Amino acid sequence: MAEHSGGRGGSDGDKAREEFFSEAQEIIDGLSRDLLALDDVCRRGGSDAELVNDVFRAVHTLKGLSGLFGAAMMSGLSHELENLLDDLRLGRIELTPQVLDLLFQSVDLYGRILTAVKGDGPEPAAEVKALLAALGQVAQQKGGGGGSVIAQYELDPGLLAVLTEYEEHRLRTNLQAGLSLYRMRVQFQLATIDSALDELKAKTRPHGEIITFLPTGEGGDAESVELEILVASRAGLSTLGAAVAGPNVTIEEVRRRDAAPPLKQSIPPPRPTASEMPPQRLPSVAPPIGAETMDTGDLASDVQTSRPPPPPADGATPSFAPPAHTPSIPPQAGLQGPAGARDQQPRELTLRSVTQTVRVDIRKLDHLMNIVGELAIVRSALARLSERVRNDLELRELATSLNRLHRSFERHLAQMQNGILEVRMVPLGQVFDKLARIVRQISREHDKQVNLVVTGAETEIDKLLVEELSDPLMHMIRNAIDHGIEDRDERMRVGKPPVGTIALNAFQKGNHVVIEVEDDGKGMDPAVILAAALRRGLVTEAEAREMSAKDVLGLVFQPGFTTRDEATSLSGRGVGMDIVQTNIAKLGGVVDITSEVGIGTKMTITLPITLAIISVLIVEVAGRTFCMPLASIEEAIVFDESLVRTFEGREVMTQRGQTLPIARLAKLFQLEGVRAGVYFNEDAKTPAPPEVRSVGSRRPKGYVVIATVADRRVGFVVDRLVGQQDIVIKALGKSLKKVRGFAGATELGDQRVGLVLDAAALIAEVLERSPVISEARAPQLGHAESRTGESMAARGVALKEGGLA
Amino acid sequence: MKALTRRSEGRSAIQRADEIGKRAEYLAFMLGNEAYAIDIGTIVEILKPLPITEVPRADPDVVGVMSVRGRLVTVLDLKRRFRLAPTFTMDKKSRILLVDAVDEEIGLLVDEVLQVYRLSESEIEPPTVLGAEQPLHVVGIGRPPDGAVLMLLDLAPLFVE
Repeated sequence: MAEHSGGRGGSDGDKAREEFFSEAQEIIDGLSRDLLALDDVCRRGGSDAELVNDVFRAVHTLKGLSGLFGAAMMSGLSHELENLLDDLRLGRIELTPQVLDLLFQSVDLYGRILTAVKGDGPEPAAEVKALLAALGQVAQQKGGGGGSVIAQYELDPGLLAVLTEYEEHRLRTNLQAGLSLYRMRVQFQLATIDSALDELKAKTRPHGEIITFLPTGEGGDAESVELEILVASRAGLSTLGAAVAGPNVTIEEVRRRDAAPPLKQSIPPPRPTASEMPPQRLPSVAPPIGAETMDTGDLASDVQTSRPPPPPADGATPSFAPPAHTPSIPPQAGLQGPAGARDQQPRELTLRSVTQTVRVDIRKLDHLMNIVGELAIVRSALARLSERVRNDLELRELATSLNRLHRSFERHLAQMQNGILEVRMVPLGQVFDKLARIVRQISREHDKQVNLVVTGAETEIDKLLVEELSDPLMHMIRNAIDHGIEDRDERMRVGKPPVGTIALNAFQKGNHVVIEVEDDGKGMDPAVILAAALRRGLVTEAEAREMSAKDVLGLVFQPGFTTRDEATSLSGRGVGMDIVQTNIAKLGGVVDITSEVGIGTKMTITLPITLAIISVLIVEVAGRTFCMPLASIEEAIVFDESLVRTFEGREVMTQRGQTLPIARLAKLFQLEGVRAGVYFNEDAKTPAPPEVRSVGSRRPKGYVVIATVADRRVGFVVDRLVGQQDIVIKALGKSLKKVRGFAGATELGDQRVGLVLDAAALIAEVLERSPVISEARAPQLGHAESRTGESMAARGVALKEGGLA
Repeated sequence: MKALTRRSEGRSAIQRADEIGKRAEYLAFMLGNEAYAIDIGTIVEILKPLPITEVPRADPDVVGVMSVRGRLVTVLDLKRRFRLAPTFTMDKKSRILLVDAVDEEIGLLVDEVLQVYRLSESEIEPPTVLGAEQPLHVVGIGRPPDGAVLMLLDLAPLFVE
């Protein structure tokens, strides 16, 4: 039997596919970040060859990957993009906002193609076709390259003949920018050429850009080879010479043919250029034999052996080096040495982090967490044992040792638990980056100017939560742009800055992470919201009269709510905020809105930092044990049957002057009288549940546990309160997906499993079944629900959960 | 991906016996008075009865959930599923078969585990001997030389919605 249990899990093919998905996703995320940075540079009227190269490399890698996995659409798209990017690199086309739009579109399409390849969605065939056509049009607008500035230099025509188009472009750009050109001759030992070359590049990088390197065909022998290296630099010969100095290195300046000092030749550069260009290739395999290896074709082999570095661990908004030196600085200024040396450091750090990072499947961490959960059970057994031994006078010495051992075990276990939780944490920047892209896209589509200000991108949160957050945040940002931010004219009229601002703030608050989406738009007018809700039959006139301003704002979370009569492409389809609330509630979080007319709106999401470990109150109902998440419990009070009143078939009680709907869990779960239908004979008996600690001397008839989620309260009636415990929550199996009201289950010790209640779902359920609604507003509500029901079903959201408001 | 593999396993037991050198291994067990057998490859483990926590609101054939070394496993009562008996009584011979279902492991309550049978092609009758229309999960009748009569089950159709 053992060999069967051993052979489980995905095949190698599955594994490779999963690797493909995660790697492709990582590259697409990086691509998005680079494009945002490029967009920023572009808006300041600059350009950044390094960034264009990064984008090119990312697309190239995607092409290679998709080819391997038969994702034809992705590889087709990559191929065309590659052409476009190549034109960009070579300066054949200009980096305009329109070109950037196409590039941003491609990021979205990549994401959708990836989803399609996974089988989770339709292939965006039409969109890809449209994008390919647009790319084709751009390609036709290519202009020619610059003048013949190269010809003015004393360069060997043989060398010029073997320059690739890209190298020629870089050479020309650098010379036009007024940089000096240097020729290095370096002797390399064949055995160590890779590392020696890298070292040389690292030395050169702070001072300039390596245009090309070619074997000279001289000075070499069987074990060594001499390379001629062409470097463009602002630094003087002495600075550069000192930087690269070595026994086998000679360096000279390449003079202009007319021998005029470069200073007097004032050639205005066409555009500012970043002064510190890194080399364009990272050849880990660079056989310096024959000129054909210098062709860009060897990029392919590079990319396969050295994957691009993963996104920076801090996840902060992408930073980039703006053109640091203006072209007016004389090319011969020799003062940049130390500054250059400083710049070199971060690059090395980034490289190192590549080798020290591992990508781990989150399920493996879940597995580790399960083991920790088991060890916690061992620990409690050990504690009991220790307690028993202590009572025995003869075993006193043993008891002391056992106790010490137990303490130590406990401490290390806690450390291990924290360690695993830490690994699961990722910066929110991962999702914020995607949002920055969406803000750009939506504001361009909608012709509104919006500035996204992000703070706290480094705030860490459980990986699973980050994944679930992107959709709700996207909805909120769409709403902020569509409904919040006014258009430019309107903003000018009311005296606001013409460019709107959306602030995305994240910070940690105790055991929770708070994310705020704040806009400086027109705010939400309670009167408008109420009118819309009345029109759609979400509230009655009578209810409307009694609502506070806060209640009114809460109406936007109602399924089917919209203030618009016609949907725009952005929002206003009447689905959105209710889904936001549902999704956040599923993560154990809460959404709040505050808004001031004319000033702006702030939506606040409060989330637990991690889902893996939660504190619960263990309760007993009809002989069964359940866990209620402490986070959603307000308090527990003694149940007094005589205080219960019924209103239209619904049980309520008064608590501190407020009406509190109550639900008896035994009734809600239909536990009375009905047994699971499994009986145990004497010889295979279920271990008895652990003795329940009695609460107080006079045992009350029961307790009311008051649960709150997003301002809605329900008292759940239980028989007994057993105690409080930190548990590792586990998801119920797929076969139990349909069962509502449970967030998962956990092991309580003695191998017994306790179900964890989903407070948000249960509260929604209890309040939803209100007979008031079903009698008085059934027709309208039914209408609203069926309307949203369609769109929700299309999104794979269970309709029942949409009832939360 | 996994579902695809499963579907291919839904072929008749005869075909399968063909593929694996004319012999396939089945684990036989009792549900009430009836003998059943499943392909041994789908069985992860045979467990002695563990505490099972009932799940309110679940389907009637779901007994509940149990923890197998930290993993949550849903337990089904096939006797209720096949309408053989309304309740299940655990005793000394009762076992829980931990099987590989679609995307999760499922525990199946059985009254007794019998033995492993290696069945050759000639020892398997097609399900149609019981009548033309048989449920998808019945893939054949095993007739080993010792005279036993085994209902051969394919579990996959049972777990597909």
